[in-house]
Amino acid sequence: MNSLDCLFKPRSLALIGASADEKRLGGVVLRNLRAFRGKFYPVNPNYTEIDEVPVYASIRDLPETVDLSVILRPAPEVPELLAAHAGKARCAIIVSAGFAETGCESLQQEVVRLGRELGIRLLGPNCLGVFAPYQRLDTLFLPRERLKRPKKGNVAVVSQSGALLLCLLETLAVSGRGVSLGVNYGNAADIDAADIYDYLAEDLETGVVISYLESMADGRRFVAAAEKLAQRKPLLILKAGKGESGQRAAYSHTGRLAGKYEVFSSIMRQSGIREVRDLDELLDAGHALARQRPSRGNRICIVTNAGGLGVLAVDECARHGIEITPLPEAIRQRLHNCFPPFYSVANPIDLTGQVKDDEYLATLNEIQDEYDGFLVIAHTGVVGLTLRLAELLTVFRAASGKPLVAYLAPGGITDQLAKRLEKGEIPVYPSPERAVRGLSSLMNYGQGPCK
Amino acid sequence: MTTEKLRRFLAAHGNSQTFLEQEVKGLLRELGIAVPSGVFIPAGEPVPLLLSLSFPLAAKAAVPGVASKSDIGGVRLGIRDAAELSVAVAELEKIPVAAGVLVEEMARPGMEVIVGGAVDPQFGPIVMFGLGGLFVELFRDVAFAMAPLDRRAARRLVESTKGAVVLRGYRGKPPVDMESLLSVVVAVSELIGSGFIEEIDLNPVELYPDGALVVDAKMKRRSQESW
Repeated sequence: MNSLDCLFKPRSLALIGASADEKRLGGVVLRNLRAFRGKFYPVNPNYTEIDEVPVYASIRDLPETVDLSVILRPAPEVPELLAAHAGKARCAIIVSAGFAETGCESLQQEVVRLGRELGIRLLGPNCLGVFAPYQRLDTLFLPRERLKRPKKGNVAVVSQSGALLLCLLETLAVSGRGVSLGVNYGNAADIDAADIYDYLAEDLETGVVISYLESMADGRRFVAAAEKLAQRKPLLILKAGKGESGQRAAYSHTGRLAGKYEVFSSIMRQSGIREVRDLDELLDAGHALARQRPSRGNRICIVTNAGGLGVLAVDECARHGIEITPLPEAIRQRLHNCFPPFYSVANPIDLTGQVKDDEYLATLNEIQDEYDGFLVIAHTGVVGLTLRLAELLTVFRAASGKPLVAYLAPGGITDQLAKRLEKGEIPVYPSPERAVRGLSSLMNYGQGPCK
Repeated sequence: MTTEKLRRFLAAHGNSQTFLEQEVKGLLRELGIAVPSGVFIPAGEPVPLLLSLSFPLAAKAAVPGVASKSDIGGVRLGIRDAAELSVAVAELEKIPVAAGVLVEEMARPGMEVIVGGAVDPQFGPIVMFGLGGLFVELFRDVAFAMAPLDRRAARRLVESTKGAVVLRGYRGKPPVDMESLLSVVVAVSELIGSGFIEEIDLNPVELYPDGALVVDAKMKRRSQESW
């Protein structure tokens, strides 16, 4: 396979269409690329320099062959510009819109043909390109004051849609989470999701991949790449266009039933590739998988101090096929003996409003060998709970190595506690149901086809 | 093997786009798939006096290209004797363009499933499996996989439907013959996977504790232009 290092870890890059005007896209990207770790060559025949950085008239004038060229010029100019890349670039991002997505198939085909001829791999056209914090590579044409960038992390975000990439990056940044890579591949005229999955399977900085998908040109190649990636690290796919019909008027029952999405989803399930339902689930599951190692098991215990919130969590578990197995009698007896009689020792274990920090820990220690994962729910308005709870849970989680996520009811000391838990690698969710969905992504892992 | 037999079958049937039920069943029989014992009576020919079939029988009009025989009133079930049979055949032959009537032994009731194949725009040839009757019609409980399949992948396909649990036996009913079912799924996957076929439907296939029987079958050739 071709390595895409020149795209995602370039040592040198050119910006075709650099501008001194920060109101123009070429100006925004120029500013964002100033932090880039390697050599950077702005190109525009109308300048000789911008803010003391020399500007080249053409990519032909560069003193070296760059790994990556970012093309930010109107679509009709792209073929000629690309032709000038001969021997001067290893790969190119075509940001420009106005190709197949607007019906200009032939223009896109011309660009693809040129890329092949010159041996230049292409990302796009009609894409935002790459955000790679480890390289400080940022081709997104949105200024930083308009779009927050996430810090370095282990989650790769792969999106066919530009808007979805932005939306995911902003959400991750705001919640203090990091990414290894963000990429929007747009029309996928050359490099597509499968190529990117192949690259990410080998990428050491990436631990989890979340991917937004609309369509693919070659389903078989996609499945092969997704299977290979999913064998190495968690891959979550959000597929849009679930209502699209596939077959034309069909002669057979099979033809009528084979909706485009139904076929996709069925094949994903049998290949053991996880599909998520919506954007929330993509983020919630990605959040959990970025922080903790998934478990092969499927039995969880809920420890709460608020009965109703525990019940909602149980309901959601049922929807995801997670088992809330009853407490073994011996453990139930032991817990019963050390707690006040009004604590409800079952699953969920309800420690009530009288709970103290240490009782969460005592409970978890008692049950840790019996279960594969834990959901801790706390209403933090009660006087027995302090910020020390974060420390206790963090230490317990790290020692047990098993999945543990939390839901904290609003109010009380929740905001501070949540911050500390997150610091301790325990994901905190805004509702009991979302906490369960986050936890479910950590359960039943690698057990082949999912339910 | 399957592709070789299919090639010969297609060559023997010239230019037809769709095939008559007994033609498809003939192909299936060659591939080792069980179909009911039957006799085809071409239009205008008398009902043979000594049918080597046991009553009750089913009679179906052979009409090229129609999607559903029952929609055009082309099916008679539970025929008990020779008198009923000649009435049924005479009626069915009146259907315009009927090429004849297929007379078959009634299949004993088992568990109905559907096994089919189609060509998907993204994944190419695919196989479908689903439990028959209500499961397919109402709940759309079907699963798809990329053709062709080996037995292991065929099993995975079957087991990825929600209804698969009833195949293993439920409420005192014995489990169905999974191996026979897998042979049907694999054969369909090889037919559609050959690239020569556009659509195929075995619907229903009756599953028994000791075998599987394809009760109805239809198939359409893939036109050369769509390659």
